[in-house]
Amino acid sequence: MRLWPQAAPRIEVDQLTDLNHIRNFSIVAHIDHGKSTLADRLLEETNTVDKREMEEQILDNMELERERGITIKARAVKLNYRADNGEDYVLNLIDTPGHVDFNYEVSRSLTACEGAVLVVDASQGIEAQTLANTYLAIDAGLEVLPVVNKIDLPAARPQEVKQEIEDVIGIPALDAPEISAKNGINIHAVLEMVVRDVPPPTGDREAPLQALIFDSQYDSYRGVVVYLRVMNGTIRPGMDVKMMASGAVYKVVECGYLHPKGMVPADALGAGEVGYLTASIKTISDTRVGDTVTGAERPASAPLPGYKTCQPMVFSGVYPADGSKYGDLRDALEKLKLNDASMSYTQENSIALGFGFRCGFLGLLHMEIIMERLEREFNLDLITTAPNVVYEIDKTDGSHIQVYTPLNYPDPMEIAQAYEPYVKASIIAPPEYVGNIMELCQFRRGEFKDMVYLDQSRVELHYEIPLNEIIYDFFDALKSRTRGYGSLDYELIGYRPSKLVKLDILLNGELVDALSFILFADEAYARARKICEKLKENIPRQMFEIPVQAAIGGKIIARETIKALRKDVLAKCYGGDITRKKKLLEKQKEGKKRMRTFGTVSVPSEAFMAVLKMDE
Amino acid sequence: MNELKPLGIYIHIPFCRSKCQYCDFYSIGGSRDKRLVDNYMQALALHFKETGARCTDYVVDSVYFGGGTPSFFGADNLRRIFAEVQHRFRVDKDAEVTFEANPDSVSEPLLKKLRGEGFNRMSLGVQNDNDDMLKKLGRPHSFAQAVHAMQMARACGFDNINLDLMYGLPNQTPVQWELTLRNVLRLQPDHMSCYGLKVEENTPLWQYKDAANLPSDEVQAEMYLRTVKLLAEAGFAQYEVSNFARPGYECRHNLKYWLGDEYIGFGPAAASDFAGKRYTNRPDIQNYIRGLLKQDVPILSECDTIPPRERAGEYVMLRLRTTHGIAAEEYEKNYLMPFQPLLDVILPLAERGLLKQEKDRWVLTPTGFLVSNQIILRLQEAQEASEPLAKKR
Repeated sequence: MRLWPQAAPRIEVDQLTDLNHIRNFSIVAHIDHGKSTLADRLLEETNTVDKREMEEQILDNMELERERGITIKARAVKLNYRADNGEDYVLNLIDTPGHVDFNYEVSRSLTACEGAVLVVDASQGIEAQTLANTYLAIDAGLEVLPVVNKIDLPAARPQEVKQEIEDVIGIPALDAPEISAKNGINIHAVLEMVVRDVPPPTGDREAPLQALIFDSQYDSYRGVVVYLRVMNGTIRPGMDVKMMASGAVYKVVECGYLHPKGMVPADALGAGEVGYLTASIKTISDTRVGDTVTGAERPASAPLPGYKTCQPMVFSGVYPADGSKYGDLRDALEKLKLNDASMSYTQENSIALGFGFRCGFLGLLHMEIIMERLEREFNLDLITTAPNVVYEIDKTDGSHIQVYTPLNYPDPMEIAQAYEPYVKASIIAPPEYVGNIMELCQFRRGEFKDMVYLDQSRVELHYEIPLNEIIYDFFDALKSRTRGYGSLDYELIGYRPSKLVKLDILLNGELVDALSFILFADEAYARARKICEKLKENIPRQMFEIPVQAAIGGKIIARETIKALRKDVLAKCYGGDITRKKKLLEKQKEGKKRMRTFGTVSVPSEAFMAVLKMDE
Repeated sequence: MNELKPLGIYIHIPFCRSKCQYCDFYSIGGSRDKRLVDNYMQALALHFKETGARCTDYVVDSVYFGGGTPSFFGADNLRRIFAEVQHRFRVDKDAEVTFEANPDSVSEPLLKKLRGEGFNRMSLGVQNDNDDMLKKLGRPHSFAQAVHAMQMARACGFDNINLDLMYGLPNQTPVQWELTLRNVLRLQPDHMSCYGLKVEENTPLWQYKDAANLPSDEVQAEMYLRTVKLLAEAGFAQYEVSNFARPGYECRHNLKYWLGDEYIGFGPAAASDFAGKRYTNRPDIQNYIRGLLKQDVPILSECDTIPPRERAGEYVMLRLRTTHGIAAEEYEKNYLMPFQPLLDVILPLAERGLLKQEKDRWVLTPTGFLVSNQIILRLQEAQEASEPLAKKR
């Protein structure tokens, strides 16, 4: 799959636009408040895309995004706009994801902009990610311009929502355009507001080149495509550029602007502009997101401030279902990492699964997305082990370690004190669900901090809660207890002492290390029983009886038995139709190939994840 | 002149009085449209002629009329088809000539005629001894009719009779099944086929299978083991997963399927393994007729040349369905593949009582037959991972 289609319309490129006629902005919002739809309308309003070429959520061009209806990757695109004052402007728009897992994606995009359009749903009002993303924009020094969307819905209450924005966020909102992105109402006002209120970029086009890499991606024909915002200087094809962090030097093959239908080559890319460059870069590690591109002949004296490295919060073992595909998986991870810098991976070796990687993700949705992208874009069949957070341990020998995988969890005898990460969770919901929410948080070991009324119809609750308790299915549980109204945001606040144990799983008496995981000691017995049940459900019967046991440090605490398969035979094979029987066997064989064999036990790859799905 | 090779002929008669609830074989339930029957007979005759010309170095030692319900098709039609076969092929005088019959469509005249024409084996669909159950299954006959049919067949000179039974039926218990078996054994058949009911998609039964109170796999397995034991006590040795016979009465035709011998199938949905190719006719009588009479549509749905290595896989799959089992020497000689990898799979299974050794052959036990798909899969995996013997040297 290609993220950016190859065929680009050839557009006449004029001279570099002067800085006063450039506006760089992103759209930020809570998930489903209509960012991507607004982006569609802006493209239409500015005739960037022909009406007949237009499709819904055109910037969400990743297959996965279209299927799920969410934005995963930020996308940049250049719009040409003639404003009411009669002057022509270049608007560089960056559409961003809304889900909490992709905050990092948002904050990177923001550094390429001077302004952010904040979209708020006129009936939902402020939600958890509205706040989180607004604060990201304010922290990045951006001008935040609110827009109230979905005003044509019956439940719309634009005036209240504007008041809420002023009260809760503290930015002027009373003049915010009231729009309907879906039905194209008042889109023009958004463009005028961008021209009027987003500050033009600053920068010196004659100065040594300084351009910030905010994203990149691998293209098998052009090599790495680098997306960047030029802060100072000018990029031209043929010039030698240097990546300041890696020191690698490349000759620019092409530079240009980003169009929804592809890349549009240009003669130059100057300070204040957003675009791309290609330079036949094959070494993926040479182009790090956050690095500064400068001129090789006349380098800048210092790099731009980069991004703070983003800390993955959830780790999981990722293994090829077919052990011989280890090399393919490594290549795939390397390429995907280029497009998604927030993921991390290190080599890991499991006795049960062989060679694989310990991958770090921002959250469970992020993990799910990465897994799906690996399987689709790189045609891999993967086994994923239960995700865990990063634990810290004081050992009896005085050392302090971080544990990223149950495989490295020390022997209980060596542990002086274990710590687990806590987050500050902010939950926004209508007041009638407060009881349900508190019950849920209590159950998840949450510690109540305070509750504030945002207005009469919504409260915000603050909890301190172990990260481990919210990464699995907390969000789903919250949604079902608040009829879908609850929203969640969280941030890491540090480590706290905890009682932890490692739970091991034995199949047919043999320990399968890839099924081990770390959990809170008081929950061990209940979880162990559930996991044994789940495995029993997910491992098909085999020729012999298989005991499934859960153990802590050699002591068995739960057991189930998968009964022996009694019957798997084709009773009748009519009229010598051998082909039919062969097909049936082939089908069984295919099924078996998707399983991993431990000793004499075949385990389907889904079983590794199934142990996670613990319905309460 | 070269020695003649043996050949089996299967003729599909896709006509039935009515469709049974569980049946997914190709047949047309209801009346026998005269024009359709005539056209079908013509198509078969043409097909025999074409094929017979390519079989001059074969001798047919088994002819099998399956269905559908051949007895429902009528003695005259069957007789004419058999005469056509004898006209186009060299048919051995001792050939096994079987026809399938349902109790409701056999009569003394029919049996006498067929016996007189050289049909020497009848396979009667009895299925169960309880009329309510038969009705539920959509069988168009009673148990009394089955008893009567059996007596008539004996009286008409059939001394090789198979009875088809089914177990694992709705609400059936192992005890009930055992009583059914004992009841049916009193009819003194020569051969018994006992099939566990498998609910197939595209059958009426599939629609209400969840409400049908079908016995679990455990219970079906129990029924199966009782069948093997009871029939052995009654003098019927198991020679295939679902087939049992008194000594000397094993079905020659069906054994061809399992032993890898050649056979040609005529009629829609019929399968063949002939001259190194395995092929199946399309399951559509109109298509079959048109393909032969007008020659403007293909009649095959698939046709594969089976390479030797795949034949080695079939050897394991098919032989292990029978009590002939597999043997190291035979395997290595015929397929130039090492037996040791298979033996590595076999030995631990034998220890668990799933296979047993009989002289130089490995044979599945009844409990082994029950999970034969799993065992075959393991053996084929070992086989696929092994190097041919010839290459090693």
